[in-house]
Amino acid sequence: MNGSDDLNRNRAVDWALMAYIVLAYAFVFAPIAASFVFSFNSDRFPSIPLGQFSLDWYRAIAMDPLVWEGARNTLFVGVIVGVVSTALGFGAAYTDYRYMFTGKQVYLALALLPPTIPVIILGLAMLAYLSRISLSGNALSVIISHVVVCAPFAMAIIRLRLSQMDPALEPAAWNLGASEWKTMRHVIVPFTMPAILGALFITMAVSFDEFAVAWFVSGLNETLPVKVLGFLQGQVSPRINAIGTFVFILSMTLVILAQLLLSGRGATPADKE
Amino acid sequence: MSRDTLVSFEGVVKRFGNFLAVQKLDFEIRKGEFLAIMGSSGCGKTTTLRMLAGLEAPSEGVIRLAGKPINDLPTWSRDTPMVWQSLALFPFLNVRENVEFALKMRGVGKVERRRRAEQWLDRMQITEFAERNISQLSGGQRQRVALARSLVVEPEILLLDEPLSALDAALKVRMQSVLKNLQRETGITFVYVTHSQSEAFSMADRVVIMSRGKIEQIGTPQEIYRTPRSRFVAEFLGSSNIFQGTLERGDRGGIVLDTPLGKFETGGPAVVQPGSAATMTVLDTKTHLATERPSGTRNVFSARMVGEEFVGATATIYLEAPGGQEIRVQKGHDELAGLPLEIGRELFIHWDPSDGHVIAQA
Amino acid sequence: MRRKISLYGLTFSLPLLIWQILFFVFPLLFLIALSFWTVKNFTMRPDFNMVNWTTIYGRGVFWQAYGTTFALAAAASVLTSVLAFPAAYAIAFKLSDAARRWAVFLMVIPFFTSYLVRVYSWQIFLSDNGIINVILGWVGLGPFQMLNTVGATIIGYLTLSFPLVVLLQLFSLAFLDRTLIEAAHNLRCGRVRTVFAVVIPSARVGLVIAALFCFILSFGDFVSPVYLGGGEPTTLSILITDTTKSGQQWPRAAVIALTMIGTLMLVAFAAVKFAYKGKTK
Repeated sequence: MNGSDDLNRNRAVDWALMAYIVLAYAFVFAPIAASFVFSFNSDRFPSIPLGQFSLDWYRAIAMDPLVWEGARNTLFVGVIVGVVSTALGFGAAYTDYRYMFTGKQVYLALALLPPTIPVIILGLAMLAYLSRISLSGNALSVIISHVVVCAPFAMAIIRLRLSQMDPALEPAAWNLGASEWKTMRHVIVPFTMPAILGALFITMAVSFDEFAVAWFVSGLNETLPVKVLGFLQGQVSPRINAIGTFVFILSMTLVILAQLLLSGRGATPADKE
Repeated sequence: MSRDTLVSFEGVVKRFGNFLAVQKLDFEIRKGEFLAIMGSSGCGKTTTLRMLAGLEAPSEGVIRLAGKPINDLPTWSRDTPMVWQSLALFPFLNVRENVEFALKMRGVGKVERRRRAEQWLDRMQITEFAERNISQLSGGQRQRVALARSLVVEPEILLLDEPLSALDAALKVRMQSVLKNLQRETGITFVYVTHSQSEAFSMADRVVIMSRGKIEQIGTPQEIYRTPRSRFVAEFLGSSNIFQGTLERGDRGGIVLDTPLGKFETGGPAVVQPGSAATMTVLDTKTHLATERPSGTRNVFSARMVGEEFVGATATIYLEAPGGQEIRVQKGHDELAGLPLEIGRELFIHWDPSDGHVIAQA
Repeated sequence: MRRKISLYGLTFSLPLLIWQILFFVFPLLFLIALSFWTVKNFTMRPDFNMVNWTTIYGRGVFWQAYGTTFALAAAASVLTSVLAFPAAYAIAFKLSDAARRWAVFLMVIPFFTSYLVRVYSWQIFLSDNGIINVILGWVGLGPFQMLNTVGATIIGYLTLSFPLVVLLQLFSLAFLDRTLIEAAHNLRCGRVRTVFAVVIPSARVGLVIAALFCFILSFGDFVSPVYLGGGEPTTLSILITDTTKSGQQWPRAAVIALTMIGTLMLVAFAAVKFAYKGKTK
């Protein structure tokens, strides 16, 4: 900030803008915070004044075998979705980085478009299609549809990392006697490793969250977010807050891990100079 | 092809789509020489180097390494290591691992790998940094790592693509002598691509000057400096005054160039085509100044001083000749002592006939 | 670099291509085919019949829902853009670099919380005995009905897209050349006029894209209209779920879904066209 900047500033406007920022974040975090707070509240109908502090809702979900089953499914689906999305996303990111070819625009559109299609439409199309090819109603169908939506995120994250790579690095490895495959293993993968892990965690987190597609697609094997939806449709129960908080903490752990990986060790030497 | 030829380019052409990057290259690289390829950006020098490294495939022609055509050999099957402009060190490996990389890719065992890397770390005086990360090194240290990484396979030839361009001026000069000594001691053929005249002329045994995908001249720095083969080379080097005119047979046995500034004589080649257009170059260090018209020479004309520039021990005087041509004279300070150097002053320019070099075709 | 795709290259490029063709392109194509199928006795059979299109397009309910959904989504994108802009502007120009990084990080967090949980949480605030009405009660106001209203639906849409819109606006402002603003001040352009005459036009592409995303998200959302709006008025997404539930009318649902995709494509095309209007790219 330089002097002329200060000269042209108006304190009242600055204060108003700061207050506005606080307000904006209050709006964004109000539901998240409320969900967290009321998950520890004993009252059946959440409101203020707060009732007793209690872990009842956590106890309730801990004792519900259906919740456990849902959690297991969520985790199972999430891990597989993360691995498959990251692998597919890596391939697409590397293709975009390395090759020029006719139809590349179409390729990139296919790779990046799915998240922009409303989930309800995607869910409808998926369920109709997957049941037609007899794939609906099981964990596999959930995994398939989650990967369609998650792979673009993985690709974007890994592509970003590749764009930070010195373009001479790959040819330098070839030049030193490494074949393309060896270069992939000894140069490209180590260089992009932070982004690969970041993409893995983020796609897992997105999968935990991606309920709507699953709601349509999954029959018996409900994942945790689907279970949450079930609660909502039936009786409203603060149990959703407990589950939501639990999923939130899990997701945030993954996101923060990803963030640390993407910003920490992986920085290129050029950045540090 | 003689016995000391290591690499030969035979009619090599490289096209990128419609763009002709390199046209009809025919030249040889000798075993053990330090060859610099010089030119401005886009002249095809880097493409030439990349074809030799196997990073680009020639569109036409043959490149031979030690007599064998290597056109179809992928870069990882050639022993043509390269030092990159960006150095391209692997940021996720430490110094030792970088140096060991090429050996590891060639399947050399761990113990042997370590021993050979150790040798080069020692030779490049970077042993103390062996376990460091690349990001912790200075520019000069990185250069040494890059050299060690390429040389560890003990190749016959080393390719260098403007490796010093990122360094500051002082370090550049130091690294030049490191490179030159290294080349002399190892006897490895160096092919050095640069746009810098001072780098090329201070290190190379022979220099290739390229322009628009073609070779303009190959020769020792001395040859190129004294006897540029074309007006382009003379202008590119920028160290000569250039006169354009028509050739005449001289009355004293030499030849004479008739220019708008006067008739200038030179020892020059005896065979001339009288009446043909030609260019004469005179090094700016061989061009002299005087206040009085010197007698006994025809190579003289007057010009008006328009500026001066001092770099270290030498000064460059800029003058404007009648007709507007710029003339440069470079001298040591003591040689200039006593001359009335004022802007606007008329001075006489003269030179010895043996210092004029005639380029036959215009 | 070698540009020709080899076995090595295909190993990396093909998997995603195949996956997206099999599980993204084909389902959407199948949706088109499905819209021409017929349903008899609760079973679908392949057909090439325009009946679903004529039935849906002949219904007042559909056009009503279409109008409602379009209007709601349009209102949400305008409202969200207007509410988000001061925040994005303040984050871009009034915060230190470190504070800005934190602000961005905090704005990303909502993407990793369940949208459904956040919507449910709004019920705690908005219901008849909810937090807001309790507080209003202390000062002798209310209770007001806030849940199951259009306003609540809009709050849901805001929850869905506000963070994304702030981030997108922020990025477009971050790429703005600051000397432009100083130049404007230097030419005696006042603070507010600078925002409207310099900042907004310069960041137009980003602002329009942000609004477009808000439109896409709101247009297709079914959580907010159901759980905050109480299912009234009916939006297209609600209509889709109702249609699938009643009598296996998947082909009709496909017609609605395809109409939505067509609409979104037109809106996106128009928005991008508008964003780049007068710009040579």
